[in-house]
Amino acid sequence: MLYLEIISPEKLLFAGEITIIKLPGVSGSFEIMKNHVPIISTLKQGKIKVKETSGIVSYFDVEGGLVEASNNEVKVLVE
Amino acid sequence: MANLKDIRTRIASVKSTQQVTSAMKMVSAAKLRKAQDAIIQMRPYADKLSEVLYSVSSNLSSDIENKYAKRSSTNKVLIVAITSNRGLCGGFNSNVIKRTVELVSVTYKDLAKKNKVDVVAIGKKAVDGLKSKGIKVSNSYLELYDKLNFASVSEIAQTIMDSYANGDYDHIELVYNQFKNAAIQNLVNEQFLPVGDLTQTETEPKPKKSGYKPSYFFEPSMQEIVVKIIPQSLKIQFFKAILDSVASEHGARMTAMHKATDNAFELIRELKLNYNKARQASITNEILEIVSGANAMKG
Repeated sequence: MLYLEIISPEKLLFAGEITIIKLPGVSGSFEIMKNHVPIISTLKQGKIKVKETSGIVSYFDVEGGLVEASNNEVKVLVE
Repeated sequence: MANLKDIRTRIASVKSTQQVTSAMKMVSAAKLRKAQDAIIQMRPYADKLSEVLYSVSSNLSSDIENKYAKRSSTNKVLIVAITSNRGLCGGFNSNVIKRTVELVSVTYKDLAKKNKVDVVAIGKKAVDGLKSKGIKVSNSYLELYDKLNFASVSEIAQTIMDSYANGDYDHIELVYNQFKNAAIQNLVNEQFLPVGDLTQTETEPKPKKSGYKPSYFFEPSMQEIVVKIIPQSLKIQFFKAILDSVASEHGARMTAMHKATDNAFELIRELKLNYNKARQASITNEILEIVSGANAMKG
């Protein structure tokens, strides 16, 4: 299980348990699943795809941002 | 003693003023809550950003190429004065203006003589106040508060940061009211650019509960990440200053309006006393007239 928070400077956009997240990294799109190696990466403009544990898939449009993942906790800072 | 009708009209006008001030107090209290919420909402983002910035830059040994870094000499200074668009909030705006004038005429006196100090005003009150003090405002942003969000603030921040990166200015300072609580605002002038030492962030991240520090995998390189995070964290700093100023404004207005309501209450009490005195005097007069008239008839 993976805990995800998507934060913008104005509010918390998403918080919850997910199985997989797909991110538009600067040097290419990538996915984070359970037990991913700790990573810090920057994002470019694109779509974030999130699949929750309940199976619901949601999308977030981002202009750019930053992702930090460690200990099965993913935090995405979006603009 | 003023006549009865005059006092009555005064009481009525003070009463309606009191109604207005107490309504403004209520409005400010509601807006203050909203402004405080905005500050709280921003905090997780700001904390995480400075945490990442800290963990990345502490891993970097050498100084990073950074267009916002300190320059050897300070030739041109920009002062950003952040006030509100509306008045009736006590010393909130005048304090900012006073500090700005002080910065121009005392701290940067030598540069100001050579016309090397520019002032940017955010909020109508700064424009008006600085103009009346004889300080030229080179640029102003008045519509910011109509639609306050991160995008509009970061646009202004970007313009200011660009002017630093281009070499138009070598030092940029923000003058604003920092929010402490509803009754207290701290006036601060804060260095915006150049950026300070990256590893010396004011909010040093707390160590994780387990004490385990993950060794991160960086993509792209650490340098590139730092170069991307720095402008973002500057924008956040600017955004925070604006939000602080907005919350302070409502706090200051709430306090000012509370005092005004109290004063109006006191004024009404005094006027009522005078009114009753005058009323009694006129009744006494009337009785006197009747009595003396009756006596004259008898006599």
